[in-house]
Amino acid sequence: MHCQDWEERVALHVGGDLPAEAALAVEQHLAGCSGCQLLWSGLKESLQLLQAAHRDPLPDAAYTAVRARVMAELAAGRRRWWRVAAALVAAALAAAALLVLVAVAVWPLPRVQPLPRVALAVPAAPPLAYARGSEPSHDRKEVKKLSRNPVLVRLVTDDPNIVIYWIAD
Amino acid sequence: MADAETSQARLGLLEAAKAGDLSAFESLMRHHERLVLMTAFRLLGSLPDAQDVSQEVFLKLYRNLGKVEASGNLAGWLYRVTANACYDVRRRKRPERPVEFAGELRASGSDPQQAVAEAERRRALEISLRMLPEKERAALVLRDLEGLSTEAVARALGSSEATVRSQISKARVKVRGVVERYFRSR
Repeated sequence: MHCQDWEERVALHVGGDLPAEAALAVEQHLAGCSGCQLLWSGLKESLQLLQAAHRDPLPDAAYTAVRARVMAELAAGRRRWWRVAAALVAAALAAAALLVLVAVAVWPLPRVQPLPRVALAVPAAPPLAYARGSEPSHDRKEVKKLSRNPVLVRLVTDDPNIVIYWIAD
Repeated sequence: MADAETSQARLGLLEAAKAGDLSAFESLMRHHERLVLMTAFRLLGSLPDAQDVSQEVFLKLYRNLGKVEASGNLAGWLYRVTANACYDVRRRKRPERPVEFAGELRASGSDPQQAVAEAERRRALEISLRMLPEKERAALVLRDLEGLSTEAVARALGSSEATVRSQISKARVKVRGVVERYFRSR
């Protein structure tokens, strides 16, 4: 039989989990206790067997399968996300269009005042006066003299109070 | 130097994966898939269950890339999440027999062939592991099979180092008990 008091420390010492001072104390105890020596060797052996049994790697196919499943899930998630985003955008656009339609139908539009219509009334031009006995001439001096009379343009609007006169020289 | 480069490369992969690059995430997964699948397999003793857990862990990693990057300890995060996912799987399944009944585990026959004997011994060791309470098993697997330090195990399991040391020592003693009973019975 081993000493119960030392069991935990011996078990830790087997895996090198004790600080140097505590490890030395265990070594000293083991040197004089055959029961704990048996415990120590049994622990050492079972630990080695356990580690040996778990040394073999898993087949590559096991990793590949996990990777494929994860990537497929992520790709599907991404597709789902895009579908949801597209649906949200479409819904938002539809709502905005509907809102505009409703606003156009219901909202009273401001009445636009029609612009006053302008009619042009040009009085008949006064007859040209020529110097007696002369034909119309291209003489600059004479033309200038004859065209001194201004042209009066009278603009009549729908509003009888507004009449625009335009005197063209 | 090489470690620093590897660490930089993985940080780059983490950044790219966070930005939505699926191929970068796949590379990240390749770097850590052994850690996750092996740990899950050792904790659960079943490859299909371990694969399910691995899938869950990596999907969780994808959803939490930002947090993991901030923590700066991807391996530690993966160990913790894997251990928790394995606890959940075990809880969903029926409870296993306690270690006290391990004495019943003996070779089903006296087959002289060495291969059969080896397979039986492995089975006994596997069962010894599966019969441990979950916390003790996790501590033993992470310390003795994954080779983490006691401090890293404590971080991964969210326990104190003293608790982890106690769990490790108890687990080692129980495994020894199963192994000795198995070999004595042959």
